[in-house]
Amino acid sequence: MRYEEMGLTEGDFYSRNFQKGAREDTLILNLGPQHPATHGVLRVIVELDGEYVIRAEPVIGYLHRMHEKMAEGRSLYQYLPNMGRVDYGHALGWNWALVGAVERLAGFEVPERAEYIRVITTELNRITSHLLWWGAFTLDLGAITPIMYAFDDRERLLDILQMATGSRLTHSSFRVGGVCTDINDKFVAACKEAIPHMRARLPMYRDLVTGNTILRNRLEGVGVFDADLCRRYGGSGPVARGSGIDYDVRKTENLSIYSRFDWKVAVQQAGDSMARYLVRMDEMEQSLNIIEQALASLPEGKVMMAKAPKVTWAVPKGESYFAFEAARGKAGVHLVSNGGKFPYKIKLRSPCFSNLSLFAEAARGTLLADALAILGSLDLVIPEIDR
Amino acid sequence: MIDTLFSPLPVQCLAKCDPARTGLAWSVFLSSADLLPAVRLLYQAEYALEDITAIDAREGYLLVYHFDHMDRQGRLALRVLIPHETPEIASIASVFQGAEWHERETTDFYGIVFNGNPNPIPLLLAPEMKFHPLRKEDGARVSLIDMLPVGEVLRSAPGFDLLTPKAAEGGGATGA
Repeated sequence: MRYEEMGLTEGDFYSRNFQKGAREDTLILNLGPQHPATHGVLRVIVELDGEYVIRAEPVIGYLHRMHEKMAEGRSLYQYLPNMGRVDYGHALGWNWALVGAVERLAGFEVPERAEYIRVITTELNRITSHLLWWGAFTLDLGAITPIMYAFDDRERLLDILQMATGSRLTHSSFRVGGVCTDINDKFVAACKEAIPHMRARLPMYRDLVTGNTILRNRLEGVGVFDADLCRRYGGSGPVARGSGIDYDVRKTENLSIYSRFDWKVAVQQAGDSMARYLVRMDEMEQSLNIIEQALASLPEGKVMMAKAPKVTWAVPKGESYFAFEAARGKAGVHLVSNGGKFPYKIKLRSPCFSNLSLFAEAARGTLLADALAILGSLDLVIPEIDR
Repeated sequence: MIDTLFSPLPVQCLAKCDPARTGLAWSVFLSSADLLPAVRLLYQAEYALEDITAIDAREGYLLVYHFDHMDRQGRLALRVLIPHETPEIASIASVFQGAEWHERETTDFYGIVFNGNPNPIPLLLAPEMKFHPLRKEDGARVSLIDMLPVGEVLRSAPGFDLLTPKAAEGGGATGA
């Protein structure tokens, strides 16, 4: 490039690589790794023709911690807390993916009550995750106030989750064969109080934000994904459901006890950023429905299976794959064991990884401001992408 | 479904698995030449790419491509064994564009080269890194037979013996 002709060595490995295909009359802009418009430490290099994005390339790995290598040197008990660090937004979804893979491989049955506790806490966590996204996303779009409301509600739910899991962010209360602690009456009462509160707040969100003209103009028709794009890139979760794909692992794979409750998979046909927004707003209501029904039919009993594996337990030989519908999409754990003390291999299938990989194609030809709206509508959690 | 879909392909081994125990509905071993035709068939049948990874086993790197269908439960694993000495395979990013990142990640972790990947630069690891963290030492490698469930084999090419215990060197003992 011209920089080298001038004797300058501008940019790093990735920007120089990106410049190779660039036109002469365009501007190359680095967004991030630390930029107010991106979440976490994500970097996106874009080539701009005026205000239009010609090419975009996300550069990831700034938060890479090699969770898959850590799995090779830890027993499963030691590895479980890693799951909360993979996706801090929906830690329990990842908890479930890991213990699910192990239980599937070992053929363990989890006690009823533990299944109910898992469902209740995971769905609470899904709502807190969506609230976090909702606040941050609207902040991206220039609305400063909604995040205050979102965090107010999220704090209340985190207080409740703290009773059941002992932590506010990186929950890791699931165990192979159950959950670590039982829930008490105080928890149930707090949940029963929180549900009508959240139900009253959601219409307010709708009136304040969802119906807002500025928001609608920023999102409607922006970043339209079709089902084919989702399949080619492996887009899942609200990204796929916003594109008219009726796909939710909880339903499709008939996970746990979800089929006992009356709830719907939130699907929108439009495929634009607004559709993805609406899917998540609907999902919060559906999660409330699930929690309410689960609380009403909560059985008595133990929360850990009999003869639950101890800390030093070795996973039996074999291979299993368990996918769970986390807040951002399909979180999968691929576990391979040779019967040794540590897992032979663990692969973490991150939904954000696949959802972000379609961004480069989706952002082509859009306005830069729209590209950022698309990025926000993907609900990215960078530690989960980088793992 | 997969058995009829893959009927034109000379698969090495096609097995039906128990989703309740493995999470997979199908497990298919292919030669590296048959990978792209298989992937094209999956794309036409509206399968979605789930992930790509490798297992470093004694016999070589076993590449595992997971696909799932969005309308019904039916996860599928395509498996291709490539030798440790020449870890190369064709990229499938021309069919499933999302494979680009998964392949780059696998290159980072295992040093496997995906020929035809549109942007074969490091993804998660630093560009100056010279080693591949998930590669195992020779002594730590385990035979596939000691890890993979066989399932109900519907079709098997003559001479395919990766999953038959008697063919495993060292009598199938773990940790050579």
